Amino acid sequence: MAAELHSYLMVGAVLFVCGVICMATKRNGIGVLMGVELVLNGANVNFVAFSRYTKLGLDGQIFSLFIIVLAAAEAAVALAIALNFYNNHLTIDVDRANKLKG
Amino acid sequence: MVFSKLIDDLILETTSLSLPWFSAELCLSGTIVLMLLLRLLSVDRWVPAYLIGVLGAFAALFCSWQQFAELSQAPPASTEPLVTFTGLLVQDQFSVYFRAFLALFLLLTIALTALTGIPDHEDGPDFYSLLFGATIGMMIMASANNLLMLFIGVEMASVPSYAMVGFLKGRKASSEAALKYVVYGAGAAGVMIYGISLLAGVLGTGDMSLLSERLSLAAAGGSGGLADPEVRTAALAVMLIMVGLAFKLSLVPFHFWCPDAFEGASAEVAGFLSVASKAGAFALLVRLCLALSGGVGTEGLMLAFGIALGVVACVTATFGNLAAYNQSNLKRLLAYSTIAHAGYMLMAVSAMLVMQNSGRAADFAPEIDMSIEGLLYYLAVYLFMNLGAFAVVALARNYTFSEELDSFKGLIGQAPVLCIAMMICVFSLVGLPPFGGFFAKFMIFAAALKAGQAHWFMYVVVAFGGLNTVLSLFYYIRILKTMFLDPRPEGARKVSLPLFSLEGSYVLALSLFVLMLGILPSITTGLSNTARTAAQSIVQK
Repeated sequence: MAAELHSYLMVGAVLFVCGVICMATKRNGIGVLMGVELVLNGANVNFVAFSRYTKLGLDGQIFSLFIIVLAAAEAAVALAIALNFYNNHLTIDVDRANKLKG
Repeated sequence: MVFSKLIDDLILETTSLSLPWFSAELCLSGTIVLMLLLRLLSVDRWVPAYLIGVLGAFAALFCSWQQFAELSQAPPASTEPLVTFTGLLVQDQFSVYFRAFLALFLLLTIALTALTGIPDHEDGPDFYSLLFGATIGMMIMASANNLLMLFIGVEMASVPSYAMVGFLKGRKASSEAALKYVVYGAGAAGVMIYGISLLAGVLGTGDMSLLSERLSLAAAGGSGGLADPEVRTAALAVMLIMVGLAFKLSLVPFHFWCPDAFEGASAEVAGFLSVASKAGAFALLVRLCLALSGGVGTEGLMLAFGIALGVVACVTATFGNLAAYNQSNLKRLLAYSTIAHAGYMLMAVSAMLVMQNSGRAADFAPEIDMSIEGLLYYLAVYLFMNLGAFAVVALARNYTFSEELDSFKGLIGQAPVLCIAMMICVFSLVGLPPFGGFFAKFMIFAAALKAGQAHWFMYVVVAFGGLNTVLSLFYYIRILKTMFLDPRPEGARKVSLPLFSLEGSYVLALSLFVLMLGILPSITTGLSNTARTAAQSIVQK
């Protein structure tokens, strides 16, 4: 049982690391948001695996349902903001967001 | 049959216990729906949205006031905390204090936006819906009793804030600020939920009241220290959760968003974010720290956690104060000042954790209460002084169309009321007696000094706190020098704000509160007693 849990957690960890790398290296704003989705889904895999194999029980599945909903809400706002940025700058390259600094 | 009984019990618990305790949040939610519906019926042409907003915020303030009175009067029937919604939220004086605090702050922010007119008539309902939604999220953060509610609260507070930062449509700076905020914020939230998944999985529960017990069980099974894989995973998970909270608190090294977001956003939104979102995040941090500490066999780990928070607090306060020096934009300068203040407030949490886990928690009981009391007092004073400073920026901007420090040169000749209010707020931000900020800082430093008996490192923290207070003096005084001593440049736009105007009396009222929280003993003791009751309600004896 523990071995099965560990393999699921490994998948979650790989998703998490891919997401973090994606967030850190992508210059495209949408790419960064895709990295965030990967991280959130890594957490989802963890929760579902924990709910199957540990005493976390059904709570884990409820957690992942809420994460899916919140990820959708966050993506909606983030895409609207990215679109607003594009309208003002004609690019969504986050490196071009360099007017504010000091 | 059993299932139907379960449903009946759930309905009974929700309607008779949970919903009355949720009344403040329900008022705010109802106001959102009302504002959006009234626009559908075109009532908003005659009734401005801020009027409805003020009513809703006032109702929420009244509800939480009632709840606080009820909690204070009721005899402590049992030592079990009062939980609602099947254990998802906890209702004690601490959470109700924050609820009243946030409702009051919402009321003042709406008043400010009505005076400066930053959401124009057309956009009013949208803007206030976002503002109310974020406030509900912060209220949930303050009463969270489950890791799920922790995450939902943080997200509910963050997502509307992203949109509010980008609310000045068509401005390059605003859209850039919103993009940076959303990218950093979404990343931090993702890392935090991954940490929550690990913590909930390792400890087998999301209920925050069980965390310390489960943590000590995990520590007892193995060798106890970090060599034990379960404990190591839990420690890692707490670190990941702290990334999310540090982002909300704009602690170094997760502070990058703060100056950019504040500079791009309007001053009203920046003022709201600087106070409200910090208050919610501090409430959550205190809850999480207390939920994790107190278990048998985990004192060493939690002591290390407290000291780590102390290090972060020192670095944050020092960085914020140093970076504020060469800022030419007043909002950006105030953003670095909020970073520094987050550092001071974090010292209180660090002192609390160190004393709580020193192994002599019973000896330190009054000081543990005092550290939380200091934090709550600080937040209450911070509400008035920081909102006052941002209000001055917002009101002057309406005349000069600029938030650069240079545009405030010689303002004393044209708008003395703004300058006087700014002076009081700034002196209080520095922490000079007899202003409110002095007593708040004093309480936190006194608690940290006492914590030095538990661990020597807290003396270093106090030294850093004192050093930073001196450091901060220079750039705060620079604001005052610009406003009072520099001559008004030729051709500068005229600021005509008489003393007897709504705007003038608004900033004066805010600065009067800052002053009263320092010198009027009846108000100071009243607030500190309230804060102490709230502090005692969450610290386990």
